[in-house]
Amino acid sequence: MSELTFTPVIGIEIHIRLKTDTKIFCACSTDTDAPANTNICPVCMGLPGSLPRLNHNVVEKGMLAGMALHCTVQPRSLFFRKSYFYPDLPKGHQISQCDLPVVADGYIEVHDAEGKLKKIRVNHLHLEEDAAAMHHSASDGRLEGASTSYVDYNRAGMPLGEIVSEPDISSSAEAVEYAMNLQRRVRYAGASDADLDKGMMRFDANVSLKCSDGRWGRKVEVKNMNSFRALERAIEFEIKRQKKILQSGGEVLQETRHWNDAKGVTSASRVKEFYRKFIVEPDLPPLIVNQEWIDRVTAMMPEMPDVRANRYVHDMGLTQEAADILTDDKATADYFEACVKAGANPVRAANWVRTEVLRVLNETQKKISEFRVKPEVLAEIVRRVDDRKLSTTQAKEVFDYMCANDCVLDDVVKKLGITEGGVAGNALAEIISNVIKANPDVLAEIQSGKDTKGKKFKFLQGLVMKESKGQAKPQEVVEALTAALKK
Amino acid sequence: MELYKLDLYEASKGIKDRKFSAQELFESCRERIDSCEGKINAFITRTDNAEPITENPYGIFAGVPTVLKDNLCTNGIRTTAASRILGNWKPPYDATAWKYLREAGAVLMGKVNMDEFAMGNTCGNSAFGPTHNPNDISRIPGGSSGGSAAAVSAGYVPFSLGSDTGGSIRQPASYCGVYGMKPTYGMVSRYGLISYGSSLDQIGPFARTIRDIQLVMSVLAQYDPMDSSCFREKNPDFTHHEDASIKGKRIALVKEFQNFTLDAPIAEAMKKTQKVLEENGAIITEVSLPVVSKYAVACYYALAMSEAHTNLERYDGVRYGYTVNDAAGIKEMFERVRSYGFGSEVKSRIIAGTCLTEPSRCDEYYVAATKVRTLIAQEFIRAFGECDFILQPVTPSLPHKIGEEDEDAMKGYETDLYTLPVNLAGLPGLSFFTGYDDSTKLPVGLQLIGPRWSDSEILNAGMILERHLGSPKIADGGVK
Amino acid sequence: MKLSREEVNDIALESRLLLTEKELDGAVKYINNFLDILDSFKELDLTNVEPFSFAEALECPLREDKVKAFTNTQGIFNESEHVDGSYFKVPRIMED
Ligand SMILES: [Mg+2]
Ligand SMILES: [Zn+2]
Repeated sequence: MSELTFTPVIGIEIHIRLKTDTKIFCACSTDTDAPANTNICPVCMGLPGSLPRLNHNVVEKGMLAGMALHCTVQPRSLFFRKSYFYPDLPKGHQISQCDLPVVADGYIEVHDAEGKLKKIRVNHLHLEEDAAAMHHSASDGRLEGASTSYVDYNRAGMPLGEIVSEPDISSSAEAVEYAMNLQRRVRYAGASDADLDKGMMRFDANVSLKCSDGRWGRKVEVKNMNSFRALERAIEFEIKRQKKILQSGGEVLQETRHWNDAKGVTSASRVKEFYRKFIVEPDLPPLIVNQEWIDRVTAMMPEMPDVRANRYVHDMGLTQEAADILTDDKATADYFEACVKAGANPVRAANWVRTEVLRVLNETQKKISEFRVKPEVLAEIVRRVDDRKLSTTQAKEVFDYMCANDCVLDDVVKKLGITEGGVAGNALAEIISNVIKANPDVLAEIQSGKDTKGKKFKFLQGLVMKESKGQAKPQEVVEALTAALKK
Repeated sequence: MELYKLDLYEASKGIKDRKFSAQELFESCRERIDSCEGKINAFITRTDNAEPITENPYGIFAGVPTVLKDNLCTNGIRTTAASRILGNWKPPYDATAWKYLREAGAVLMGKVNMDEFAMGNTCGNSAFGPTHNPNDISRIPGGSSGGSAAAVSAGYVPFSLGSDTGGSIRQPASYCGVYGMKPTYGMVSRYGLISYGSSLDQIGPFARTIRDIQLVMSVLAQYDPMDSSCFREKNPDFTHHEDASIKGKRIALVKEFQNFTLDAPIAEAMKKTQKVLEENGAIITEVSLPVVSKYAVACYYALAMSEAHTNLERYDGVRYGYTVNDAAGIKEMFERVRSYGFGSEVKSRIIAGTCLTEPSRCDEYYVAATKVRTLIAQEFIRAFGECDFILQPVTPSLPHKIGEEDEDAMKGYETDLYTLPVNLAGLPGLSFFTGYDDSTKLPVGLQLIGPRWSDSEILNAGMILERHLGSPKIADGGVK
Repeated sequence: MKLSREEVNDIALESRLLLTEKELDGAVKYINNFLDILDSFKELDLTNVEPFSFAEALECPLREDKVKAFTNTQGIFNESEHVDGSYFKVPRIMED
């Protein structure tokens, strides 16, 4: 009997926080730094008599996110009530577009095990409200044995887009690439900051195994993954767990399991499966998106990272690797393009951005929007190196100085004692005079004719070059130094 | 003349013309309430102990007292929906309808009784005990807005607000002998109305004259961005036109309803009213509503309960209302709060709504009902192609005695057949007074319904009916 | 009888309702009676009928994305017996 093989069949549901100023159904702020329970009102607290009012921008950000995933905007969509009892849900039901979403039918590309591009179909993106945040710890911060859970309704009613993939994913690696690609694209579209640390992007995965003997494991829903690493580990754990069951002839139960990140395991949810039923949300008429709005949002869509990277490779001569690094983050790519637009050579500008700029940002933990050296200035530095007005060493010195201080390029050049167009004439004469003065013994040796091999001359020449910060032209140094020694 | 007897128009005119002060009117109404309330029990919460506060001395209701059904949120004033589960909840905001009245200068005398969460038609299903009919205190005032109807009928206030999900304004108006208007769905903002069946609920007025109904409607019918089902483009004109006419209007009777039996006073009122209409130039015709007459009751209850059970999911004791402090777990907390907080009728409706929308039954019942509703709405559109208004009873009989509720709950629902199709199709309906029954002395009301947005035309017809049938008198409130 | 006492009781529990024996008797009768009436829908051919959602071809109005803080949050806090500092508290929920 041949060895059984198992093919994972994985679908992913990703919740992203859409980037808006107010919540989905009320005018409360979406500020995540606000103190607990300050952004609340009758609507997001589910008070009797309150009614939802849909935020225009939530729809628009949902459309942008959907378009970034190659989806089509649906002219008519609808909201439903999805019921379950839990204290994080103020109305006892969530208002969600689950059954008739605003965008549908897209895809994201990932690399399969052989490195070939593969499309993961996106079934749809629907709009819905977030639940309140729960803290399961005692007021003294103690977790174990605490008898109380704390509720912060600031998060209740935050706008979410739930993106549901088809079960086209076959490994944890594909899953992570799918999720990262999705994150990059919705960020590009300006639809979401998708900041994992702030809970703006959360993952659930449906995992099942197809066995070579024809058996199919039942679908297991794994919840509670809040990082790419957790997504990867949870899927791997689940594949292993189910494989073991199937290998021993057992049956995989259809259930919801929770990922415990600290323990690195999934476990059957203790909370009884939420019982779900949808009725049409009677307080919100159908959402109608007309062609004019679709056109307007289409025009807002920026070039997506893969398209951009292609352009860098084909039009600007960058390597694929450099192009991928630069396009990973839209702000970085925008910065790079601004450099090029300001006249920098693309290949050299790309080198500067991916090495120097990203290094400094990483060291200082800053965003590119806060970066002191504006792209036009970097372009100028790159240009001066090309024009030999700055040596590479000087350019880096200038760049580093400007990263740490508020100043303009020419002042820095002056401040660092760098003269435009090299060190010559009086400036060079002064350096030579200082070098000679500082080395009377070497001078004496040369003048006494002992420097037959020219070693001592080369030594002084090196000192002058160093003092001029590499800016003096070697030929001019030789001439001026020879003349000075003859005096 | 006691000031409490004045209608809204006279009262506000009297104050403006300085014939009497708002204070005098207020006190007269308060005395009237004091003398009748022991027998009627219309109030859940009285707010008439302080000075009359009018926010706008120049508004059209400046200084005129009113009461609100207790499912309308009032900022800082207890709002219960007649349920234990809301405890002593004081909403932190005002319902839009109340805000509009307040801004027009109306003075709040209190919050009045209703069936719990508007589920019922007797006003006896309340955590605060039953309200009595001011025309005969041994009888029900009808419901669910029984307190609002009784308060106007007994002369507590010249006008009040109620809500109508399946007849909850029109039926008590008819039982108590006042006018009651259920506006077109979308005409009046529902913001701050504690929901029962959200797609059916509509707020409307009670008053003792059509002109007063028109006055209140002119204030209520304003667009409110807080309610997404509120219509923006409509600008209805509720001006009182003395010379309005119904000449040439086709007023239809429903063919299928002719087979149902009516109590004699109501059948007589139907005849009398047709005669008045014909004498004023209207043409009496007939329309057929087969789906409505056969399926509306089932359709209505399926949808009302499906929506209601989701509307009632929010009552869990965490953020407001009745709660417990010693539950061992969250499930226990929710169970104890809801089991004690809701009355039996509400519980039955929650369970029925949950049952209908379970994944296994949803298509068969809930989804089917939404389709039947489409047929019902279409049937009315067809009917109003053939007529301008429909004349029909509000109920087949006069109010029964308190405590004589029908044992079989579903049979009670069938008496709603005349009122609830109006909510399913989102139509306007006016419950109007036709006179008093000779033997029981009880008021007899009937109903005029029209196509969507015909509210002001219905009221014009109602004005002509009032002129010929007479206005209702203030009931003695059991004082006699 | 479409639904047994047990089934009705299960539905009640899903709705977080604990019924007394008397309430359960009432609810069983109520629901079965009700479902019988709803069976009349089967007489109708609904295959090509659209579900009703709103009384007119109404579009969802859209609100401008502009913050307007609710000014009476204290009024919300005042109504809960489960306020602890700036939080609302409930009996501990086990997450996993
Ligand atoms: Mg979701
Ligand atoms: Zn809010």
